[in-house]
Amino acid sequence: MSSAPILLEAVSVRLGERLALDDVSVRLDQQRIAVIGANGSGKSTFARLLGGLVAPTTGAVSVLGLDPSRQAKELRRAVGFVFSNPDAQIIMPTVAEDAAFSLRADKLPKAEAAARASAALEEFGLSELADRPAHDLSGGQKQLLALCGALIRRPALVIADEPTAYLDARNSRLIADHLLRDGKDQAGDRAHRLVLVTHDLALAARCDVAVLFDDGRLTAVGSPTEVIDRYEASLVC
Amino acid sequence: MLTLYRPGTGWMHRAPAGPKAFVLLVLVLAVSLLPSTYLAAGIAATVTVLGYLVTGLGLRELGRQIVSVRWVIVITLGAQLLFLQTEPAIANTSRVLAAILLAAMLVLTARVADLLDAFERGLQPFARFGVDPARVALVLAVAITTVPVLIRLASGVREAQKARGAGGGLRAFVIPFLVVSLKHADDLGEALTARGVA
Amino acid sequence: MTSEPAAAPAEITPRRSARPVSRLAIDATDIARIAVFAAFIAVLGLPGGFAVFGSVPITAQTLGVMLAGAILGAWRGAIALVVFLALVALGLPLLAGGHGGAGVFVGPTAGYLVGWIAGAFVVGAIVHAGRRRLTWARTILGVLVGGILVIYAFGLPVQALVTRIPLPETALQSLVFVPGDLVKAVIAVVITMTLQRAYPRAFRTDRFVGAGGASAVQSTAGAASGTAPGVSSGTPER
Repeated sequence: MSSAPILLEAVSVRLGERLALDDVSVRLDQQRIAVIGANGSGKSTFARLLGGLVAPTTGAVSVLGLDPSRQAKELRRAVGFVFSNPDAQIIMPTVAEDAAFSLRADKLPKAEAAARASAALEEFGLSELADRPAHDLSGGQKQLLALCGALIRRPALVIADEPTAYLDARNSRLIADHLLRDGKDQAGDRAHRLVLVTHDLALAARCDVAVLFDDGRLTAVGSPTEVIDRYEASLVC
Repeated sequence: MLTLYRPGTGWMHRAPAGPKAFVLLVLVLAVSLLPSTYLAAGIAATVTVLGYLVTGLGLRELGRQIVSVRWVIVITLGAQLLFLQTEPAIANTSRVLAAILLAAMLVLTARVADLLDAFERGLQPFARFGVDPARVALVLAVAITTVPVLIRLASGVREAQKARGAGGGLRAFVIPFLVVSLKHADDLGEALTARGVA
Repeated sequence: MTSEPAAAPAEITPRRSARPVSRLAIDATDIARIAVFAAFIAVLGLPGGFAVFGSVPITAQTLGVMLAGAILGAWRGAIALVVFLALVALGLPLLAGGHGGAGVFVGPTAGYLVGWIAGAFVVGAIVHAGRRRLTWARTILGVLVGGILVIYAFGLPVQALVTRIPLPETALQSLVFVPGDLVKAVIAVVITMTLQRAYPRAFRTDRFVGAGGASAVQSTAGAASGTAPGVSSGTPER
C-alpha cells in the first residue's frame, strides 16, 4: 500500500438495499479534507468507512496505513469521531467523567486520566463545568465536550460528520475553529488531520481540499473553491 | 442529577459505600425476621428512629421518607387488617416500613458514583464466571446518562402530539417515543464504538 | 476494558456479524440498547404518567417490561431489567411514583421487581421462539405468560412472605391489578406488531445474529436505507 493517509481503490459499500458508495477511488494527502454533497449522497458513509464504522462491500481502503476491515481496533485508536447530535455522544453522567471516558482503552491510572481530562476541559473552556451533570450543558457546550472527548487522545485523524448541524452560528464557529486549527496547538503537538463532512460551504472553503459526492459516486476532488462552485452549479435547476 | 442522595458531612456520609451497604443489608435482614408481635414492632420502630438519629439524618428526614412511602403503608396496613388480627397487622406493617426506611439510609448517604464504584468492586469475584465488572459498570453509567436524555425526548414527543391535536393515549405516545429512543440507542452505539468500546 | 479475547475474528466489521452465536456477546450496540431500554422503562414510570381507568394511575413500567422482552429478546431484555433495577437499587428514584433505593427490594413488592427480570426473559423467549418472523399468536402468548403470569409467580409468594398474609388472600387482594395488566398486555402486543412493520430493525435480538443476518440489522445500514418513516424529523442525513 502507498503511504497516502487516505487511499480508496474501487470501493463500494452496500447498506441493505442501497448502494451507498459506488466504485469510489481516491487518494488524499491533504491535511484538512472537506466532504460535501446532498443528503443521501454517500458522504456520511464515506466518513464512517474511513473510521472503521462501516466495512467496504468490495474494494480496498487504507487509512493512515491501516486497513479498516482488519485493523479496526488500531484504526479507532488513531481516529477521533465527532457526530452531529450532541446528546448521543455523551456517555458518562458528568462532564469530567465523559471527557476521561475516551482514555479508558489506554488503561491509564485513575489519577493520570483525571489530570488529562481536566487539562483537556481547560483547553475547551469547560473547566467550570467539570463536575456538572452532562445533561445540564447547552447544545454548544455538549458539542464542545464531544469534541474534547474526541481530541483528548490526540488522534492523528479527526472525522467530523456534520459537527455543526445542531448548533447556532456562534457555537458553529467555535467548534469549527477547534476542528480546523492548523500548525501546533498549546501542547506543541502537531495538529490532527481532519475529514469534515458538512453542509456549511463556508466551512468547507476553509479546508485544503474538497471532495464532492453525488448519489454514491465521487464526482469531484480539488481545491475547495472549485469543488464548491461545481456543487452550487449542480444545484441550479 | 435526579437522585435520592441528601448531601451531608456526618460519619455516615463519610463511611465507604461498600461496607455501609453490607451493614445496612444485615440490619434490614434482622428486622425482616422479627416476629409479628407488638414488642417486635416496637423494636423495629426503635431501631429505625435510632438509626436516623445516630447517623445525623434526623427525624425530619425520617418523616420525609415515611411520607414518600405512604401508599405502601396504606395498602399494606389495609390488606393486613382485612385478613389478619390487629396485632400481627400492625406489627407486620411496621416491620415492613422499618426495613424500607433502614435500607433507604444507604442511598440517602452515598453518592451514586460511589455506589457505582463499590458495585464494580463487589462484582470482581464474579469475573471468573465471565462477568466483566467494568462493562457492567459502563452499562449502568450509560443508562444513568440516558435517563435525562429520554425524558427530554419524551416531552418532545408529547408536544408534537399536542401540536397535532392527537389524543393523550398510552399507545399513541409509546410508539413514537419507542422509535426515537431506539434511534437514540443506535446513535449512542455508534458513539460508543467510535470511542473505543468493542 | 473488555474481557473478550483479542484475537476474536469479530473485528472484520465493528458490528457483531462474525461473533459466535453460542455465547452472549454484549457489544457497543447492545450496551447502548440495553442502557436506553433501562432508561425507557424509567421514563414510563415518571410522574405525570397516564391515567388509564379514569383517574386510577397505573404504572406503565410493566408495559416496558413486556416491550423489553419482545423487542430486545430474552437475554438482552432481561439484562435491561437488571440494569434498570440496579439503578433503582443505587438510589435513583426511577420506580413509578419516584421510588427507589434498596428499600424497595425488602418491601412487599420486591418479588414483582425480580419477576420483571424473569418476565422480560420469558416474553422474549416466547415471542422470538424459533427465530421466525413475529406472529400475533406468539406475541400474545409471550406477553400474557411472561408479562403477567411469570411476574405474579414471583411477586405473590414474596408479598405473602413479607406481609405474612397467606398466599390465597394475597392473590385475592392482587386481583384488582389484573385488569390493568391485561390492558397493558394488549397495548404491548399492538406496539410490538406495529413496530415490526414501521421499524423492523428495532428487533435486533439474540437469535437473528447469524452470519447472514447481520447486515440487515446493522444500525448504520438501517439508518441509511430509510426504514424509519415519519419519526426521523430533524436528523441530518447520514
